[in-house]
Order: sequence, then C-alpha cells, then structure tokens
Amino acid sequence: MAQGRKGKLNYRCPRCLMREIDMDMLYDKDKDEYYCLRCSFVGDEKEVQRLNTQFREKYLDRTIRITDF
Amino acid sequence: MNNFYVTIIHRPEMVPEYIQKEAEQGKVEDLTRNTVLQESLDIFRTQQRIAHENGLRTTIQMTYASLFNAEAVSIAKEHHQQFGDEIGSTFLGIQCKEFREKFNSKELAIWLFSMDDKRRIVDEVFGKFREVFGFYPTSTGSYYMDAELVNYIKEKYPMVKAAVATCWEEGPKAYWNANNSWYTLMDGGPWNPWIPSKRNIHCIASDEADDIGIVAIPHLSRDLMAVFDGPGSYYGTHPQNILRGMVYEGKELPYFKNIVDQYRSMTKYNRGYSYNMMFVGPGWMSKGGRWESDYAFLLKSYEDGMAYYGELKKQGQLQDLTMSEFADVYREDRPYSRPECTLWKDILYGSKRQMFWFADPHMRFCLDMNQGGAMIDLRPYAAKLIRPVGVGTKANQDASYPFLVQSLYRAGYFTHYAGEGAVKSCKIGHGSEQVDLCTCRTLASFSEDGDTRIVTLDPVTIEFADFSVTVQSIFRLTEGTGEVEIIRRILDSTDPEAELSIDEYITACYGTNEYPEDMTGIRLTLTNTDKTESIDYAYQCRESELENIHSAEAVIPQVDSLLSMRTDESAVGYFREGFSFSPMYTLGIKKIVKAKGELRTWLKVAKAS
Repeated sequence: MAQGRKGKLNYRCPRCLMREIDMDMLYDKDKDEYYCLRCSFVGDEKEVQRLNTQFREKYLDRTIRITDF
Repeated sequence: MNNFYVTIIHRPEMVPEYIQKEAEQGKVEDLTRNTVLQESLDIFRTQQRIAHENGLRTTIQMTYASLFNAEAVSIAKEHHQQFGDEIGSTFLGIQCKEFREKFNSKELAIWLFSMDDKRRIVDEVFGKFREVFGFYPTSTGSYYMDAELVNYIKEKYPMVKAAVATCWEEGPKAYWNANNSWYTLMDGGPWNPWIPSKRNIHCIASDEADDIGIVAIPHLSRDLMAVFDGPGSYYGTHPQNILRGMVYEGKELPYFKNIVDQYRSMTKYNRGYSYNMMFVGPGWMSKGGRWESDYAFLLKSYEDGMAYYGELKKQGQLQDLTMSEFADVYREDRPYSRPECTLWKDILYGSKRQMFWFADPHMRFCLDMNQGGAMIDLRPYAAKLIRPVGVGTKANQDASYPFLVQSLYRAGYFTHYAGEGAVKSCKIGHGSEQVDLCTCRTLASFSEDGDTRIVTLDPVTIEFADFSVTVQSIFRLTEGTGEVEIIRRILDSTDPEAELSIDEYITACYGTNEYPEDMTGIRLTLTNTDKTESIDYAYQCRESELENIHSAEAVIPQVDSLLSMRTDESAVGYFREGFSFSPMYTLGIKKIVKAKGELRTWLKVAKAS
C-alpha cells in the first residue's frame, strides 16, 4: 500500500464534515483515492465534490442577497 | 445618527499554523523555514494592499515573531505613516526561534501559560515592541485574554486601551469541529465590543470601579444563530471562514454581505450604534489553497469582502477606525448599564427563525422565537466569577463563562423521553391538558419605552380538545435592574368560562460544556410572607409548592449565583429537585386565570455571596 499524503486543497472528509468535524483526508496516489483516518470514508475526487455539494444544500439562503433587516 | 464602525486587523504572522503544517509534510519542524516566512509576509502585504486600495485603514497587530523581521517592521512603519494605520501588538503568533530559546515552550495560547509566564511574556513582547518602534502599543489581543492577564497589562502598561479578548461561542463546538484538538474553550462572552469587568473578562463591567480599563473586541463578528449551534469558524466576517463553512455557490458568497448588513441593522437596537471587525490571519490565505479553495478563490473572497466595506465607506455608511480609535469612540457614549441587544434573524437556512440576544452587567441571555420565546442560554454575569485559566489553575484550559441554561448542551425542551432539559419557558394548561410554549413557533418585534427594551412576540394559538386560546409573550428589560420582566397574556379564548393555568418556569443547571456537573448543595427555596421552605439538592426528586408566593430561588454555590423568580400577583410558587438521569432543578410560578388573564413574573440573577 502507498504512503498516504496530503491531497490537493486539503480535502476534508465529506462524511465527517456532515457532522461538522473538519478532518483532513490522506490521498493514496496508487489508487487515486482519498481516505479518512476517523470515519473510514473512501472515495475519489469526484465523490468528495459530490458530497461537498450535498453539504452546501442545507444553506437554503447561500445564493441569496438579503438586505431587509 | 446611525454609526457603523469597522475595525480591520492584519497581523504579520511569520509562522502561521496552517502554512507551517503544510510545509512540514514529510519534514521535521523548522520555525525558520524561509519559504514559510516569505509566503506569510507576502500574504500580509497583499491584505494591506487590498484594504488600502479600498480606502480602509487597518490596525497592524505585530506578532512577537514579526518584531524580529526587518521587512515586517518596515512595512508597519511605512503604512502607519502613509495610511494612518495603527501599530499594535498581538499575543497570537508568539512562536518563533527567539521565543523557543527564551521561554523553552511550544505553547501558542497566551491565556494558557502559568500566571508567572504570562507576566514574563507580556514584559518580553511589550519590551521588544518598544525597542523596535520606540513606544508601547495601545492595542493588543489574542483569541482570549483572561482578566488576570489584562489586569497585569493595565498595571504595567496603562496606555493599553483596547484588546481582542474573546471569540464568541468558540467553545466545545469549536473543539469538536477541530477533531478535538483546538483548545479555544471560551463560550459565554458578548458578541459585540464591551468594557470588561476586572474580575472576569467575559462579564460586562458594572461601574468605574469594576472597569478593567480596556475596551474588549470579540475576534470577528459572528452569525448569532449559526454559531450558537455550529462551528464559530464557519460563519462570521471572515471570508475564509465562510469558505470553510462552504456557504457559497460558484465563486460567490453573498452571505458575507448579509452578515455585515445584519450587523449594520443593529443600530435599531443599540441607540444608533453598530460594529464589525474583520481579522484574517495570513494562514487563511495560503498560496497552496485551503478549505477546498485554491488561492485565487481565497484571494477573491478577501477582495470582495474588503470591497464591500470600502463601498460602504464611500457611501458614508461606515467609519473605519483602528482599535485604539474605536476604544475612544466607544467610551464616549457608553454608560455602564446600557445593554447590547439584537434581534437576530436567520440568513442561512431559509427559515424565518429569530433569536433575541441580550447582554448587560447582570446577565447574557438568548430567547428563541422558534420555541415561543424560550430562554435557551443564560449566563450569570452578575456573579462576576473570578475564574483564572492556564497552567496551575483549576479551570486550566476551560475559559468559558458558566451558564445556568444552555439548551443545546443540556437538552432544552426536547429530551430523549426522560427527565427535563435546561430551558426557561411557560406551560399553558387546562384540566389534564398542557402545552409548552416551546412548541409554539412565532416571531418577535423590538421596541423601546424610555430605558426599557421590549421584545413583543406575535400571539400564538393553543388548541385544547374543546376550545382554543391565543397567548402573547412580552419581555421587558429595564436598564440597570438586572431583571427580566415576563408577561404571559391570554388575549382570547373561544370558551370564556374555561379555566387556564399559566405556569412560568425555569429548568436550569450550571456548567460550561455538555457534561453534567455535581448539583449537590444547590439550595432551592420558596418564600411567601409567612413561610420559607428550603432543600439542599441531593438528587431525591423532592418537590414543594407555596401559596401566595413571593419568590422562588436557587442558590448555586458552585458558580456563586442566585437565580430567582418573583411575582406581585396572587400565585403559587414551586421548586422541583431533579435526579441523576436528569440533573436539573426547576423553579416555577403558576396561577389560574379565566378568559383574558395574565401572569407577570420577574427573573433575576445575582451574585450569591
């Protein structure tokens, strides 16, 4: 098995992020996948990005400019 | 006139933790690694340029490490002269080769050193600062500055008038968010600037004798709803925090402007005054990217944020002040008794939820309109607990100010089918039916009547089996009294003959985090004109009631606090002791009304001793 290294942009574990834990993942270049030391998540960059998009969905107002206070 | 003051702080942090950790991948630690020093300095220079291009002045908080860097010192002097930036000092970024040699410690948090070390470090940092600049700083800061530390600074360096002194609600949630490795355990302070008590930095000073001598500024202006139930470092006036929280789509983060504008709207609640602070350390703009964002996005978010402040300044809607300037302005119009209040509304999750936050020298509390105005956080500032932190103290790393109610750490209305959680609310009953106002979502409005701030909730309808009633809650906060007057009014009933019970209660505990504390020795007391009944807490589920109640009280010696409820009406008072699986105590006052009655009670926290 290859040595785990920091991947690009310090991808955090998307599953840990869902429970608001910032956990940097390690990257296995032989398998081209990221993995989490805490929750056992494993996935490629595309999967990480898909879950990150899902994480953002809870912010219903993330694209809205609110000026009425 | 409405004033929106903004303080922008930059620090030349020579060895930012994030960049250092990156550079260390696969290498041994080296605090003098040139690539890190240069990158950090470049980022500091970039931040300064962006502020100045937008016509904004900054406070440059020199780190101890930067005092040994000729280039950082030269930039600070140049920008002070050219732009009027203030040169201050910070206790962040103390770690460098020189510090290690002198203090032989890897500790990075000033508040966590022993008191002896704190004194030595203050003298060293301020001495070095004077050696470099020829004067002492008038502003300083860290993530947290304990009262003992600030008292020492004021004693030796009385010219200091401002300090970044806490991060709002950066406590157990921040620790958890950082994989239990970030020891900023400091919940319980005010969210906007304040004059701290000499006894505890979180508490607002009561008078001149209690005034610690500085104006304290929270580290960033946080989202008062999202950060109550989430990581502080996701939601605030820190663009890269927002990237960390992923509150964006594409490359746009309107949320930053929404936070700024909500803070600007606080003029409505605070006699025309509002405030923002922005403080982004260089480590957050690492050229290698961070928080799933490349450097270009990190930079853009900073530029956009600063551009918004610049635009407001051009429109005459913002005054940029350095930390020391702000301290002077703040003190010009700030009676000690004046509270800070805010009716915060959700700008993140798409709900209409509101929370009302209040802080004065007596207490800090929060009302949640999603729970019918329930009090979900209560901190007894009146106790002004002397609670030193750092090595050699009992509290050690736990710098939080204790709560009596914290509904997220201690359940609140919803418990897992056993016992009670910490919350203050009211139950409306009829016969065997009872409805807690926690289940009646509503909205609120704010008004003032002289020195009384009033939070008026929209009426809610409660449906019993055979009829319904409309109930309104009103909270009146008269400046300087230390009391919350609560009115529960039955506005209407479809059955005018039906009797209703109004049961105002507070279920409380004490602590600084999620875990229960020992309740032994808490004294619960009921008093009327003829009688007093008391018990000392022993987890025995004891209960008592008293007619014609004058007051129901709890003395919590562990946090030197006296919590009391009183009424001037004919009503029944009660207390309830808890048990180990529900380590709470409840105080209540209840009465029976018909049709359009009301119950008026006053809640107070005071120092017990």
